[in-house]
Amino acid sequence: MHLLGGVYAIWLREVKRALRDRGQLIGGISRPLLWVLIMGIGLNPYFRGEIYGEVRFVVPYTYLQFIFPAVIVLNIMYTSVQSAVSVIWDREFGFLREVLVSPMPRSLILFGKILGGTTVAVLHGCLVLILARFADVTFGLDQLLKGLGLMALLAFGLTSLGVIIANRVRSFEGFGVFSNAIILPLYFTSSSIFPLDPALSRAQTRVVYPDWLVTIIEYNPLTYAVDALRGALIGYNQFAPWLGIAVMAGAGVVLFAIALFDFRRA
Amino acid sequence: MPGSPIIELRNLGKHYGNTVALDDINLDILDNEAFALLGPNGAGKTTLLHILCSILTPDSGTATIAGFDVVRQPLRARKNLGVVFQEPSLDDRLTVYENLDFHCLIYQVPARERKKRIAEVLELVELSDWRDKLVRTLSSGMKRRLEIARALVHDSRIVFLDEPTVGLDVQSRARIWGYLDELRKRRQLTLVVTTHYIEEVENCDRVCIIDQGRIMAIGTPAGLKSDYGHQSLRVVPIDADALRDIEAAFPDAGRQDDELVMPVPDDRFAGAFLARYGNRVKEFVLDTPSLEQVFLALTGRALRDKEASGRERTYAFGRRGGEHTR
Repeated sequence: MHLLGGVYAIWLREVKRALRDRGQLIGGISRPLLWVLIMGIGLNPYFRGEIYGEVRFVVPYTYLQFIFPAVIVLNIMYTSVQSAVSVIWDREFGFLREVLVSPMPRSLILFGKILGGTTVAVLHGCLVLILARFADVTFGLDQLLKGLGLMALLAFGLTSLGVIIANRVRSFEGFGVFSNAIILPLYFTSSSIFPLDPALSRAQTRVVYPDWLVTIIEYNPLTYAVDALRGALIGYNQFAPWLGIAVMAGAGVVLFAIALFDFRRA
Repeated sequence: MPGSPIIELRNLGKHYGNTVALDDINLDILDNEAFALLGPNGAGKTTLLHILCSILTPDSGTATIAGFDVVRQPLRARKNLGVVFQEPSLDDRLTVYENLDFHCLIYQVPARERKKRIAEVLELVELSDWRDKLVRTLSSGMKRRLEIARALVHDSRIVFLDEPTVGLDVQSRARIWGYLDELRKRRQLTLVVTTHYIEEVENCDRVCIIDQGRIMAIGTPAGLKSDYGHQSLRVVPIDADALRDIEAAFPDAGRQDDELVMPVPDDRFAGAFLARYGNRVKEFVLDTPSLEQVFLALTGRALRDKEASGRERTYAFGRRGGEHTR
């Protein structure tokens, strides 16, 4: 019971630090604005097909609606991976030692830290939700709660991933480059900004899109996270709805275990 | 009054690659004593403390704190411990209060006592007025004081201070020792201090001189001085005649310009000297043995000129496997 107080302290510290960091907050606001307003509105008219002169959307949604859940995922990705910078910060400025010599088990230290990163990331995800009406996305309370749950699950896994990276990269600069090198490819190959046409069969898809791209998308775990969130918020799924939850939960457990293994050894 | 052993080290060994950091250390630190580890940089003091805080694991031997093995029961061993590290370890984006509150929470201080204790330690280190300031805005001396307050706030039985006063001005150093003395009057507390400032060691009950990973001597400051130190007499004769006479009478006197330094074999020596030459010297100084001398006698090196510059300290940190180079 007392140990929970320690987890709370570590969690609270992460959240406070993140909220006091203006730069992070500005990034968290400007990123979705760019993606939704510029990219989303810009590409909106092209997101449709013409069949026998009749204008149809490839997916029964506008492009804005289509990428809206993916922008949430992007914001969560950046924030959670970035939150692991605090791991490097703690090590570099000695604060890590203060925690390591305390009577807190390392597993709970790490758990509190990742939980803190998760919370901040979900908050940044919520910043995107504010833009929902500009993207013509409407959802009820139940959809919102389901979405928040998925966002938290995703953020937990991604924060763990960030910690794993931070344990391997020992400088701030290195971390920035490395995290971008992981975030953007993962994001672009997760069917986030373009759909795999659901009207096509699996074989047809591989004809329309190059084989390698489809393969990458199918193997990218993030694909299923984006898909699950899309399912929750706009009701559009390309894969089985449960698949996203299963992949995120599995990835969360595995990534946390790896992060813990590293942290125990360090 | 010091009591039974609270920290016990048995055959403790640690090496980094080919460098031996600790070589078969056997040591008891008693409950409620102020214990100093004295030695030049790289002597193994910090390594020893880090093993006790279970940041490092020893290669051989055992260490226990209050009966708990630091390798097998680290959480319990650490519960009694307050640590002030050589390098700062505060979160400077949190306020003074938030840093202490964080510490109380991870050390499981009950909620109703937290506020009271934080107020107490802030009072002790005279930082009450800075309670809600960001740590970033504090001077380095104040940060040190805050770290000391933090090491005490969970009612620690044992406090480790790794070079607590390094890099601080004389005034701040005196103040920090003032707080520690004050605290030892108020409650039971075992202090383990590493330092290379000799004058600070004089405040401690026992001193352990350590060099190249080995214990050279342990004892009270007075005991060490009488065992390893020696008195000497410095005189400045009034003129060249007197100088010649005294030099002839004491062939083992060393001469520096017009000053003569001679060893003092027994207590009556000084009196006898004064009786004979008292009217022919203009300066007469009886040097009592210092720990500096003890250190020199034991290691063949002066402690002071081993004081490392910032750069050397960084290199030493790197050699020890400093964490940002690992």
